Amino acid sequence: MVNIPKVAVLFGFGINCDRETAAVFELAGAQSERVHVNNFVNNERDLSEFHILAVPGGFSFGDHLGSGRLLGNRMRFAMRKQLSEFVAAGKPIIGICNGFQVLVKTGLLPGREKPDFEQSASLTLNNSGRYEDRWITLDFDPNSKCIWTKGITRIECPVRHGEGRFVMPSITDLDTLEKNHQIVTRYVDPSTEPGKGITNEDLPFPICPNGSIRNIAGICDPTGLIFGLMPHPEAAYANFLHPHHTRKEIQEEILGEGMKIFQNAVNYAKSNL
Amino acid sequence: MSTNVVRIETTPKRGEGMRDVRGDSVKRQLLADHGIKIGNVRSIVGFLIFSEIDAEKIAQRADDVFADPIIEESTTNKLHLDDINLFPDPLDMVVTIGFKPGVTDNPGKAALDGFRTIFPDAGPEANISTYITYGFTGLPSNIEGDWLSKQLHNGLIERALISSKGQPPPKIEYTPVEPSSYAKPATINLEVSDDELLKISDEGLLALNLEEMQTIQSHYRNLDVRKSREAVGLPQNAPTDVELECLAQTWSEHCKHKIFAAHINHIDKETGENSEIDSLFKTHIMTPTLDMKKEVDWLLSVFHDNSGVIAWDENWSVCMKAETHNSPSALDPYGGAMTGIVGVNRDILGTGLGARPIANTDVFCFGPPTWKGDLPDNLFHPSRVLRGVHAGVRVGGNESGIPTVNGAIVFDDRYIGKPLVYCGTIGIMPRQLSDGRESHEKNPQPGDRVYMVGGRVGYDGIHGATFSSLELTEESPSSAVQIGDPITQKKMIDMILEARDIGLITCITDNGAGGLSSSIGEMAEYTNGCKIDLGKVPLKQAGLSSWEILVSESQERMTVAVKESDVTKFEALAKLHEVEATWVADFTNTGLFHVTHDDDTVALLPIEFLHDGVPQLRLESEWKKPTHEEFIPHSNASHTDLLMRMLSRPNIASKETWVRQYDHEVIAQTAVKPFVGIENDGPGDAGVLAPIHGSTRGLVVSNGISPRYSDIDAGAMAAAAVDEAMRNAVCAGADLSKIAGLDNFCWPDPIESAKTPDGKFKLAQLVRANRELERICRAYFVPCISGKDSMKNDYGTGENKISIPPTLLFSLFGNHPDVRYTTTSDLKPGESIYLLGESKQELGASEISFMLKESNEANGIGGTVPQLPYPEINLASYKSLTKAIQNGLIRTAHDCSEGGVAIAIAEMCIGGRCGAEIDIDGPGNADLWGRLWGESLGRIIVGVKQENRERFLAMMKGHNLTYMGETTDGDNLLIWDGDELIIEANTEEMASVWKNSLDMTGGN
Repeated sequence: MVNIPKVAVLFGFGINCDRETAAVFELAGAQSERVHVNNFVNNERDLSEFHILAVPGGFSFGDHLGSGRLLGNRMRFAMRKQLSEFVAAGKPIIGICNGFQVLVKTGLLPGREKPDFEQSASLTLNNSGRYEDRWITLDFDPNSKCIWTKGITRIECPVRHGEGRFVMPSITDLDTLEKNHQIVTRYVDPSTEPGKGITNEDLPFPICPNGSIRNIAGICDPTGLIFGLMPHPEAAYANFLHPHHTRKEIQEEILGEGMKIFQNAVNYAKSNL
Repeated sequence: MSTNVVRIETTPKRGEGMRDVRGDSVKRQLLADHGIKIGNVRSIVGFLIFSEIDAEKIAQRADDVFADPIIEESTTNKLHLDDINLFPDPLDMVVTIGFKPGVTDNPGKAALDGFRTIFPDAGPEANISTYITYGFTGLPSNIEGDWLSKQLHNGLIERALISSKGQPPPKIEYTPVEPSSYAKPATINLEVSDDELLKISDEGLLALNLEEMQTIQSHYRNLDVRKSREAVGLPQNAPTDVELECLAQTWSEHCKHKIFAAHINHIDKETGENSEIDSLFKTHIMTPTLDMKKEVDWLLSVFHDNSGVIAWDENWSVCMKAETHNSPSALDPYGGAMTGIVGVNRDILGTGLGARPIANTDVFCFGPPTWKGDLPDNLFHPSRVLRGVHAGVRVGGNESGIPTVNGAIVFDDRYIGKPLVYCGTIGIMPRQLSDGRESHEKNPQPGDRVYMVGGRVGYDGIHGATFSSLELTEESPSSAVQIGDPITQKKMIDMILEARDIGLITCITDNGAGGLSSSIGEMAEYTNGCKIDLGKVPLKQAGLSSWEILVSESQERMTVAVKESDVTKFEALAKLHEVEATWVADFTNTGLFHVTHDDDTVALLPIEFLHDGVPQLRLESEWKKPTHEEFIPHSNASHTDLLMRMLSRPNIASKETWVRQYDHEVIAQTAVKPFVGIENDGPGDAGVLAPIHGSTRGLVVSNGISPRYSDIDAGAMAAAAVDEAMRNAVCAGADLSKIAGLDNFCWPDPIESAKTPDGKFKLAQLVRANRELERICRAYFVPCISGKDSMKNDYGTGENKISIPPTLLFSLFGNHPDVRYTTTSDLKPGESIYLLGESKQELGASEISFMLKESNEANGIGGTVPQLPYPEINLASYKSLTKAIQNGLIRTAHDCSEGGVAIAIAEMCIGGRCGAEIDIDGPGNADLWGRLWGESLGRIIVGVKQENRERFLAMMKGHNLTYMGETTDGDNLLIWDGDELIIEANTEEMASVWKNSLDMTGGN
C-alpha cells in the first residue's frame, strides 16, 4: 500500500504540458516530479522509483516526421527495458495529446498483454488540416477496464492538436478494440444525454474535431492500465477554466471535472501498489 | 568513412480511412484565396540524407524514422511519382519545393536527430534536408506552373521545381551549404572627406549618419585610444571592420532608439507653440513612470532590462515585453513572424536572472485580405501576408508551449506597404531564488564566464535588420531572412530555467539585434568590461569572418554568465538537455570591450564610448491640423442593413478561424479565453490567467490599438489605445491599483529629408502621441514599464510611397484578485442592460465613416475623433465597475470600440445567442448616428441580473450609467431610438455574417 504515490512526469525535447500535468497529480494527492527523458535514457534515474508515469502533451521534436514519432523512438529503443518492467509491475501510464501520440508510436497503445513495442495504430493529421484549440464533450465506455476512467460518464475539456485522427489498418482491428472495451472515450454531441452519446456514426466537425474513426478520442491497452487520449483533462482541472464559468454561479470549489481521471489513478496506486 | 546521399520519400497510403490531408489543404487554400477548383492534390514528403550510412541500411529502417508504417508508404532512392501503382493517373502538374541551402530546415533537423537515434554512427557531418512535392490532377488549363509554384513557396528562402503534364517529375537534389569565405579583419580608413564617410556607411549597410561617422572618426584621433590600441596590436588610428560593425549595431536606431532620444524643436501652427523637447522617451515615458514608482512598491525593474518587472505578490514577480517584427514579416511572412514571437519569448527569458514565458499576445496590422487593387513590386498580397504571419506565430507559440491569450488583427490599405507584427510575451519568476538572490537583478562579477547557449552562429541573420526591402530580390542571400526553430529554443528554455532555479546564473540576456556584439556588450556594462574570443563560437558553417560572427543575429541563442565554480554543473545541465553551451567570453573590469579571434585582437572599444558615445539627433517637428472632408452620411440603407455590413467588415468580423489555431490554453491557466459565450464564439475582451495551479489569483492582459484616428490626430489615437486596453482590463475585473503598460510605437519615418518631405509633420504626430500617452497614463496610474519603437515603416519613394498610419499599440497587464470573479461579453438570460459612459458626437475616423466613404455613401471621414478630456472621470467609473465585478454583481461586460454601441450589443447577443431590446436614447447631445455608431471612449455595456440590480446601482451611484434595456428570450436584437425602431436583426443571421467574412479556411 502506497500512501502518496510518486508520479514521473516526462519533460524535455518540446514536451510542454509537463508543469500542469505535474500540478494536477499533486492536487490529486500524489507527489509528482518532472523528469527529463534523458535522465531515464542515461539510466541516471529509473522508472521503478515511480508508481505512475505521465507522458504529457506538447510538440516533442516539433512533431516533425509525424507527431510523437521521434520521442516514441527514444522510448522504444532507449527505455524499452524500464518501460517493460514498469508495465509488468502493473503500474499505470497516461499519455495526453502528444503523450498519447508517443504511446501509440511506441506500440504501448493499443498494445498487447505484454508490450512488444510494435506500432499497430496511428494518429494522423486532422481532416480539417488545421491545428485547433476548442472544447469538446467526451463520453466514456462504462464497461472499459481502464483504471483511469472508472465512474466517469461525461466530461468537457479542450482538444489542442493538429494530428488527432485515430486510424488503424483495418476495420476488424477497430472491432476487436471495441469488443475489448479498449475504446475508452469518444467525442459526443453535447446535446445528448450524458452516457448516451457514444456512436460509431461519423459525427460532424467540430463535435468530432479531427475526423477520428468512430469518433475515438482515447484508448487503453488490454490491461486497462495504459491510457491515452487526445483531449486535455488536465486543462479542465479547475472550474474557472471552463469556457462557460461566467455563465454559472461562482463556485467555492476550485477543482473541476478533469480531476477525476488523475484522482482515479492516484487511488488505484494507493490501493494496488 | 565515405559519405553518400540517400533519398527517402513518403506519401499517405490510399484506401479506406486514409486521406492526404496536406494535399487537401493546398486544394482548399487555392479555392479560398483564388477561387480555383482543383480535382485532387497529392503530397509527397522527401528526405535527402547526407551521411555515412548506405542506402540499403537506411531502407531497412525507413519505417522506423521517416515513414509511419500504418499510414504512409516509403521508398528509398526512387521517386514515388515514378511508381505507377501509387500514382496511376497522369498528373497535370508537379511542384517540388525545398529550402535553399543554409535556410533553417526544422523537419530536416528533427529527422537528423531521429536518424542518429537509430544510426549513432551516421558521421559527424551528417545532415538531412527535406522537400515536399505536390501532384495536381484536374487543374484548370489556364493555370501556369510559375504562378502555381509562387503560391506555394517563397523564392527568398525556398526553391521550387516544376514539371508539366507528360514531363518526367522534378527531382530536387541535395545541395550542401557553401562554406563562407573567411576574410581577415580589414582596417577602414576614416581620415577621408565627409562624402566618403557617408559612402562607407551606405555601402557597408551601417545606417550611420554623418555626425555619427564623424564621432567615430574623432575617437580614433584620441592619443590615449591610439596608445591602448598599439598595445594589443591593432591599427592605431583607424577602426577594424569588426569595430565599425559593432558600433553600427550598438548605435543603430533599433538598439539606441535615437529618434525617441532626439532633441526636438516642436512647432504647433494651431496654437503657436514653439518649444524644445530633450528626448520624448525621457520626458513622456520615463519621467512619468519614475514619478509613479515613488508612490508604489511593486515596480521592481523598469526600462533597463529586457522587459519591465512588477511584483505580483510576495512570492512571484511578473514581466511583459512586446516587440515588432515588421520588415522581416514583409519579406517572409512566415519566418519573420515566427522569429518575432520566439524572439520576444527570449526577451522574457533574458529578464532578471531568467523569467518563464507564460503567455503570448499578438496584434497584427495588414492590408485588407480582399484587396483587389494593384500591388507594388516585391510585396505580397495581404491574404498571403496574413496566412504566413499567422502560421509563423502559430508554430512559434504552439511549439513553444506558450498560450496565445489575447490579440487583434487590424486592417487598413496602407499596411499593404508594411505589415505590422506585434508580438508580446508575459513572464513569471519567483521573486527570490533558493540562494536568496532577488531574481529581477542581474549580478555578474569580473571573472564570470560568459556562455553562448542554444543555436549556432550562421550566415543567416547577418544584417537581417538593415536590409531594405527594395534591395531584396529572388536572388537575395538567405541571410536577409531567418526561420525560427522553436524546439531548439524550447530545450534551451527548459535548461536555463533549471539552471536559474539551482542558482547557476549571474547574468543573462538574449541574442537579438546585433548578436553577440549587443548581448555581451550590454551585459559588460555591469562589470565594466569583457573579453570575447570569436574563435570559440560554434558556427553553422565554417569560414565566417570575425565581424560576421560578432554581429550575426542567428536565432535561438542566449548569453549567460556563470561563476567559474559553477561551470561544471552548468555544462552538465546543458548536456542533459542536449543544448549546446559554449564558453565564449569572460567579464572583466578593464573598461574595455575586447574582442579576439583566437590569438589576435580584432576589436577594442571603451565600454563607455560603445554605449554612450552616440551623438544626440536634432530634429524638427511641425504640427498643422490635417483637413478631411466631414463625415456626412447620405446612405439610403437602413441601420439594420448597415449593421449587417459593419459586422462583416474585416476590422470588426470574427477572427475565430485564425485565433482557434493558436493554443490559448496550454499551462492550464486561461480563465477567460479569446472566445466566450454559449457557443464559444463571442469575442473575449482581456485575457485572464491563473498561472499558479490550484490558486485563483490572477493576471490580466489586454491591448488597445486605434491607428486610423491618426488620420485626424495621432494624440487622440494614443489616448484611444490606452483607454481601450484599460476598458478591456476593466471588463475582466482587474485590480486597477496594480497594472502596468507597454507602449509600442510603429511610425513612418519622421525625419525630414528628400525621401520624406513630410517628416516634420510625422514627427509632430509622434510628439502629440507621446504627450497624450503621458497624460492618460498619469491619470489612470498606469506606469509604462517597457516599450519599443519601429520608426521606418514606409515602402518605396516619391509618388508611390506608402506610409503606414502612425500606430501605437498599448498593452496592459496587471493583477486580478480572483479569476472566478470576472465577466465575459456574452449576455446571459434575464439581464438588464446598462451603458457606462456617454456617447458623444464623435464619428471622425470611425469604422462607419470609412465604410461609407469607401462605398461613396459619405464624402469623408472628417469630424471629431474620440477625445478623452477628463480621464479621471473615466477612472472613477472604471474603479466602481471593477469593484462590482470583484463582488460578483455582474458577469457580463463588453467595451464599445470600433462600430460603437451597435456593434458591441450585437456581439453580446451573438455570444449569448439571445435577443435584446434596448433604447439608445440617452444623455448628451449626440445624434442618432453618434449614439449608434460613434466610438466615444470610456464606454462599457454591462448586463446585470435582476437580483443584483439594486446593489449594482448603489455601487455605481454618481457615475454616468444609463439603463438601455433587457435581454429577451427571442432571437432578435431590437434597437430603439425613443419611439422609433432603428434596428431589428436576427441573432443567428448576425452571427453568420460576423463569423464568415474572415473565414478563409475553405471548409473543414
